[in-house]
Formats: sequence, C-alpha cells, structure tokens
Amino acid sequence: MTTAVHPLRRPRARIRAASAARYAALIAGSAVMVLPFLYMLSTSFKSQTYVLSIPPQFVPHPATTANYSAAWASDDFARYFVNSLVVAICTTTLSLLLSSMMAYGFARFRFRGRELLYRLLLLGLMIPAMMLIIPQFVLAKYLGLIDSLTGLVVFYVAGSLPLNTFLLRGFFAAIPVELEQAMRVDGAGAWSRYRRLILPLAKPALATATIFTFLASWDEFAWSLTIITTPSKQTLPLAISLFQGQNSTLWNLVFAASVIAVLPVIAVFLIFQRYFVQGLTSGAVKG
Amino acid sequence: MRRHRNGALALGTAAAVCTALLAGCSSNARSTGSSAADGATTLTFWGTYGNGGNKVQTDALNKTIIPAFEKAHPNIKISYIDIPYDSLLQKLTTSAAGGKLPDLVRADLGWVPKMGALGVFAPLDQKMSDFQSLAGKTYPGSLATNKFGGHYYGLPLDANTRVQISSPAALKKAGLTTPPATFNELKAAASKLKAAKVSVFADSGLQGWNVYPWIWSAGGSVTNADQTKATGYLNSPASVAGVQLLADLYKSGAIPSLIAGDKGATQTSDGLPKGTYANILDGPWMIGIWSGQYPGFKPRYSPVPAGPGGSVSVVGGEDIAMTSASQHQDAAETFIRFTQTADFQLAMAKTGQMSVVTSLAGQEAAASPELKPFIKQLGTARARPSVPQAPQIDTVLQNELTSAFQGKQSVQQALDKAAGEIDPLLTATH
Amino acid sequence: MTTHLDSEAAPHTGAAGHPPAKDRPAIGGRLRIRPPQGGRRRNSATQGGAARTALTFIAPGFLLFAALIIYPMVKAFQMSFYDWNVVAGAASDFTGFHNYVKAYHDPVFWRAAANSAVYMALTVPPQVVLGLLVAMLLNNKAPGRALFRVLFYLPVVTSWVVVSLLFQYLFADSGLVNWMLHDVTHLTAKPTPWLAGRWTGMAVVSALGVWKGVGWSMMIFLAALQGVPKELMESAAMDGAGPWRRFRAVTLPAVRPAAVFVTVMLVIGGFNVFTSVLLVTGGGPADSTQVLLTYMYQQAFKNLDFGYGSAIAVLLTLLVFVLSMIQLRVFRDEPEEAA
Repeated sequence: MTTAVHPLRRPRARIRAASAARYAALIAGSAVMVLPFLYMLSTSFKSQTYVLSIPPQFVPHPATTANYSAAWASDDFARYFVNSLVVAICTTTLSLLLSSMMAYGFARFRFRGRELLYRLLLLGLMIPAMMLIIPQFVLAKYLGLIDSLTGLVVFYVAGSLPLNTFLLRGFFAAIPVELEQAMRVDGAGAWSRYRRLILPLAKPALATATIFTFLASWDEFAWSLTIITTPSKQTLPLAISLFQGQNSTLWNLVFAASVIAVLPVIAVFLIFQRYFVQGLTSGAVKG
Repeated sequence: MRRHRNGALALGTAAAVCTALLAGCSSNARSTGSSAADGATTLTFWGTYGNGGNKVQTDALNKTIIPAFEKAHPNIKISYIDIPYDSLLQKLTTSAAGGKLPDLVRADLGWVPKMGALGVFAPLDQKMSDFQSLAGKTYPGSLATNKFGGHYYGLPLDANTRVQISSPAALKKAGLTTPPATFNELKAAASKLKAAKVSVFADSGLQGWNVYPWIWSAGGSVTNADQTKATGYLNSPASVAGVQLLADLYKSGAIPSLIAGDKGATQTSDGLPKGTYANILDGPWMIGIWSGQYPGFKPRYSPVPAGPGGSVSVVGGEDIAMTSASQHQDAAETFIRFTQTADFQLAMAKTGQMSVVTSLAGQEAAASPELKPFIKQLGTARARPSVPQAPQIDTVLQNELTSAFQGKQSVQQALDKAAGEIDPLLTATH
Repeated sequence: MTTHLDSEAAPHTGAAGHPPAKDRPAIGGRLRIRPPQGGRRRNSATQGGAARTALTFIAPGFLLFAALIIYPMVKAFQMSFYDWNVVAGAASDFTGFHNYVKAYHDPVFWRAAANSAVYMALTVPPQVVLGLLVAMLLNNKAPGRALFRVLFYLPVVTSWVVVSLLFQYLFADSGLVNWMLHDVTHLTAKPTPWLAGRWTGMAVVSALGVWKGVGWSMMIFLAALQGVPKELMESAAMDGAGPWRRFRAVTLPAVRPAAVFVTVMLVIGGFNVFTSVLLVTGGGPADSTQVLLTYMYQQAFKNLDFGYGSAIAVLLTLLVFVLSMIQLRVFRDEPEEAA
C-alpha cells in the first residue's frame, strides 16, 4: 500500500483537463439553478408593462424600485415580517428542543412499545396535512389557540416533530456508545449526557433541522390562513397571496415581496450551513 | 465541554424567550381585540375587495364608507378583513367547522345557496322585518342568487356583468375601426386579425361565466325556468350553436389556448392592453386595474356581440350575508341595511362595483360614466343557476367543453354529456 | 415539517445531515441494517429504569404530537365514512364505505393517482442521480466549493409558492423558455403551450420538482461521501481500478444507505406533491393534471365534500405507507443505532 507510485497521481495536463471539465459542469449546473432567481430579481425591478414582454428583458429598463416600496407599504408588511420571524424562530427553537429529546429517547433506550411509538411518529410524515386542517381547527378552537401566533407555533412544532426526530435519531444513533459509557462511569446521568455529549456532537444535524424547520414555518400558508383573522397577526405568505387577485396578478409585486421574503431564509441557511460544514469536516461525528 | 453546555443553555434560554415573546404578542392582541370597553359592538366583515394588490376598493371601504357608517352608528364598529379570493371558501368552511365565523360575509353569489343549505348563513327573509322592501329594490337577477329552498340567505351587494372590451390598437392592425357587434362580424374580423397575428377574442376558461353569454346570445338556454333540468336546454341546437362559434374560432387559431385551461397563456388583462388580443369579455373592475398598470391604454367598451338571441350577458357580483353564528345580529342587520343605501352603493360604484339598486342606475351612470356600457348590458343580463352544487356544475361544463375544444369530442357530444351530469346536480340539496 | 401548503416539502426538507452509515463503508457487501430493535446488550442504558428515563425524554414531544397530529388523523379517518357536514354541531350521515366505492368508480381519481405516480417516476430517479453526480463533483477541496454548494442549495430553501409562480411564469406561452426554444434557437416552430396539455404540464411540474430537489439529495450524498475513507479510494486505484470501477466498488456501496434514504423520502414526497401542481397548472386543463392531493383539495375545499376528500387522503396515506414499508423491507434501510 505504501511502496507503489501513487496511483492517483496523473499527468498534470490530465488533471487540469479533468478539473476544467468539473468546473464547466458545475458552472452549467449552478447556472440552471440560479438563473430563474436572477430573472425573478430582475422582474421585481420592472414596471408591469415590461413584465411579459417578448423578447424578455433581462436587465430591467427602466428599472424601478417602486414595486419594493409598494410591497413594503401595502398594509402592514413590516408587521407581517416581524410576525413571521417570531413564529419561525419560536417554532424552530421549540421543535429542536422537543425533537432532539425524543430522538435521544428513541436512539438510546430500549423499552416496550418503542417500535409502535416510532412507527406512529413516522406516519406523521405520510399523512397529507391538508386533510388534518378541519379537525385541527376544531381542536385549536377548543384549546383557545385561534387567531394567535401561539396557535401557529404550537401546531407547526407538532407537525415538524416527525421529520426532525427521524433525522436526529439517525444522527444520534451513529454517535459511538462508548463515549456515553465513559461519561456514565464518571457518574453523568442521562440528561447530562444528552446535554453535554449528544447535542454538541450532533451540531450538523441540528443545523440542518434548524434550516428546514425555519423554512417550513416561515413559508407556511394554509394553516396560517385558516386560524389567523386579525390583520395585525397575519404572516408574510398571507400578505403575498393577497397580491394574486381574482382578476389579475401583479407579478412584479409578487416577486418583489417574494425577494423580501426569501432573504431571511437565505440568511438562516448561510449562518447554519457553516456549522453544518464544520460538523462534517471536523469528523466529530465519527468520534 | 463548557462551550457545549453553553449551546444547550442557549437553546433553553431561547425557548424561554419565545414563550415570553408569544405571551407578549397575545396579551397585546387581547387589548386591541376587545371592543366592549367603550360599549360599542364590533362586527367582523370578511370580503375579497382586495383584488390582487389593487387598493381602490379597500380604500373606499376603509377610508370613506366604514367611517361614515360608524359616524352614523357610534355604537357599532366594523372590522373589515380582506381575504384572498381563492381562499375565502376554504377559510369560511374551516371556520364553520369550528363555529368561529365572522358576523358578515361578502360572498360571491355562487356560494350563497351552498352556505345557506349548510346553515352557515342565516335566512335574512326570516330575520329582517323589512327584507321584502329592501329586496324589491334590487335587480331580480341578482336577488335570485340568494334564494335556496324557499328562503333568501343574503341580499345583493354589488352587481357586475361582462361586456365586450376591445383594444382599438389591435383592431386597427387589421384595418378595423369598430368592435364586432354581431356573431357574423366577429367571424369576419377573425380572419383579418389572424393575418395581423392578433387573436380576435380571448377568455380564460369555459365555465358558465365564460360561455353562457354566447349560449344566451345565440338564443339558447342553460336550464328550464325552475332550474331543475339542463337536458333539452343546455344541449339544445341554439345553445350548441353559441358554443360552436367559439370552438370553430378556436380551431382556426383565432382564439388562444387560454380558453382551454392553458395557465401559461397570456392573461386577458395583459393581452388586451398589449394588443395581442383584440376583444375580450370582462367586468368593470378592469377599468381600475388598467388605470394602475397600463395608464396609457384606452379600451373600448361595447355590448356582447349579438346573435339570434340578442346581446345577452351574465350577471355576476357579490351578496352580503349574515352568519347564523353571529352574536350581534341586530347590529349586523343595521349594516346590511346601510349597504343598500345610495351612500354605500354609489361610493362603491365609483370603484367599479356596480349598484344593485335599480333606482340608482341613473345617478350611477352620471357619476361614473365609464360604467354606462355595463349598466346597459346589465339590463338584459341573466343569472347562472343558483343551486348549492354550482361549483360542480362549472367543473362539469369546463371539463366537457375543454375536451371538445381539444378535439376529443364534438360540442354537441360535450353538451349532451354535460347536461346529463348537471341534471342531478341541479336538484341535489347540498 | 408537516406544514400545510408545503406538505410535500417534508421529504425534500429532510435529513441533509443524516449520517448515512458513514461509519461502515462495507465495500461490495450488502449492508445489514436492521429496524430499531433496541440498543442490545452493548447499550448500557437499557436496563432498569431505562423505560422511565426514555419516557421523560419522549413524552413531552410525543404528547404534543399525539394531541395535535394523531387525534386529527383519527378524526379525518372517521370523516371518510360519513357524508360529512362541516358545520359545527350539525349531524352527518354515516355512509360506510360509500366514499371509497365512489373513488373506485371515479375516473378522475384514477387519473390523479396515475399522475401522482408519473410525477414520482419523473422526479425521483433524476434527483437521486443528479444529486449524487453533483455531490461527487463537489467532493473535493477545490476552491469555490462552498459557493457552488450554496448555489445548488438555493432552490431548496426557497418557498414552494414562490418557485411555483416562478415556473409558471418561465413556462408561460410568452415566457423565457419558449423565447429560448422558439425565438432564439428556433428549435420549435412556434411557442409551445406547456401548460395546455396533460403531459407537457406534468413535465413542467416534474422539472420544477427536480430543479428544487437536486440540492437536497446532493447535500445528503455529500455527507455520505465525506465518510468514504480516502485510503479505500487509493487502494482501489492501486489495484488498477479505473474511475468507473472505483465508483462501483467504493463510492456506490458507501452511499447506498444514503441513496435508500433519499429514495424513500422522495417517493413519499412525490406522492404528496401539491403546491406546485395547484399553482402551476391548477390541475387543469379539465382535470388532466390533477394529482391525488390537488384532487382531494378540490373535493374538500371547493365542493365541500369532506367525506370524499378524507377518503382520498386515507387512500393516499395507505399507499405511501405500504410503499415505504416495501422499500424499507427491500433495501433494509433503517439506519441502525449506535451499534
């Protein structure tokens, strides 16, 4: 294994060619991924007259920021933004707390009925959520959660638990038991192991779960539409949907509002993907 | 390890902060939501005046009409909530399931029989002592949409109808100066416009709202007089001829695929001002939409092209209904009465929501001359069948006719099948 | 993330950081992965008060889940046996299996089921293959790697509503795609009315699904590839294995568990496609592009036939459940705990 000439060492020219091909493929691929966004961005700076013109306008001319001011000024956009932010942050925090606890319970303990409980939880991944809306609404009313941000958070958290638990359980299970045993010898209880060993080691998984829980609660529309009535408690997706009228859709306004709405999600992704990458590259998970 | 513990601690702290934050939000809401403090009743009123970011109507309501009402009735406050049009039915339904309804609803007239049948809307003719006198002042076509099973579950709130709207610039490309006034002129214009790459006509679907004007203008009908049978009416030779006119134009390429459910086709609201479509049928709201989006566009309004049956359009609009669950029915009735007054009707007419009160037509036309063609068309316009299963009827019609337009069956076959499927829907009670 | 409008996002939003058995590269060998049977003797926390401790961890979350998800699920199941009157307190007629019989005789239901299957077939394989390909291209320390990762991931973090509107706009008759195909490259004689037909419509919706999902599977494969020890690659190369052999002998076995996980989640997600179809084609023209969830939505919230809508939802859940169980059985996917 050690004596032979390094087999991966190829002539420089070939490496360069391979590397060029690799970059060409990556650039082509990411262009396909990103172009629609750029087009959306560009449209959000156009006035309606130029929105569907042939040939399409790539660089808005004349460019206008009127759509942004119109979207922002419409009703209480800033308020909706804050509402969405509060809901998304609270949902993410609570969901991560509860699902990481569940995941730890499912990954590290053996007890009767565990299999059944876990399968029930997975069933939550499969049921179409739209169908739960009516029974959930009746329930929310009974619990006094109608027309409140709390009502959004509580149901979002419940809905996000199956996937997060599924994801985290797999990750926790891959953490070598020996590490825990060592802590046990030192007299650390289950809670302390969960907090001081499992959570820190599972940072990449927690980061992933954070990204997705934030995204899902930030974007959620149907439940928010159903239980929120007071305008001052509406969330961003509701506000954006109001730009799609019965008789016409203002694409430039829709896209301007969407660009505003997409920014926090990208920010959350950029922040947390750092932890994600760190976790992967540090090899912490392998122990 | 210290660092790690901090992480867990942060999670816990964040959870605590969240609870506090939400608690703060909800207590804040409680103080704004209460209305009993100053002895006034707050009525919640759901509607879809928003119209896709076009604020003309919501502004008129919130800044002029409601303040005027509240001034006249200091003990009643109106809280108007705008709901996306596509979502109002879902929101109403879920809210009905939870018994958490608003006091007043501005409902598309197609939904009222259904909501009445379900018991969501209260029978106004039983609740309001002066119902008959109010009802008698409105257009019969609009009033009829509120009736189900011998009772009225709402009053007409606004009316509208479709007239032919044309783009002078597009017509000019084919050397035309006037919009087609008859079926034959429409056919003649089609070939000329096609050479100029302009569609003679465009529409966005094949539901009743879209095709009934052609059926009626051709001298056909949709159902018998008491709305219990479609077979023999919807598929009568005259009815078929009206739809056939469109199908033939579609096949020759003079009508774009938008009519056959192509959601990628240019919308009529964009195609007309851009001059790719020469004529469309649409309602008075377009005036407001275009003045905002295409300020330079000067459309021309004329009656629906006439056929053997004359120029007959379809009645649209909204009704106002009170929910059975409302805790403030007296106050709600007061507001409903107010919606029938000249103050309300004429103020909304300025935003494109035409009055339902017949006696106001003159004043309305004088105040908003752009509405004249619509008021005139409304005089002969007819209502769609008003039954609880109205949404299903539209689905049947649209699906059968779309397949006819796609060439999978003839228009006659499509309407035969549609009529057969619609018959039981007309008599179903819910 | 069983959110409502975005319900199909759930699988897409899955376990990007899921550790697909990176601790067992197991060349060539069939991975032996068991369903969670318990920690076995090696797990020190299995005896004594383990159950009680476990419950203190599980109970808070599970009780919430049971109350807010399972209970409504049971209610929805119950609704499917009634001619359900939605109004609070109103009586509903018990109709037994009537709603299920109705589905059996309903051609639109079958078409919707077929369309869901078509969507799944058109979106799952490309997402798996392209996801793996991109992950392999990015699995080195080349400069710009982080940037590319973000770019490929951008569609994943964007809302379904926004990207659906965007695709409808791009594939509009006078949209960007037709402009490229017709006006620029003259590949098509006239603009294609993408959303006017069943198959072109499904193709657009599927393209959207793939476009939005590739970044997700890429992320999972990337995590899996990071677990492939360098030495294995090198020793395989020393044995004279070319790139293709190395891929088959080393890479593929290493990412197999990840591929299984991705496939299972994407199949679930494929059958739960909703928002994109609703917004891009609306199920039309003439119900030709309805999928199971949009049809359920139409029955429940447009026609207010909740019994029938629930029956469709129950059938869909059953189908997805059975499919998932079969896949897990065939692939023996369940990533095993610690052991």
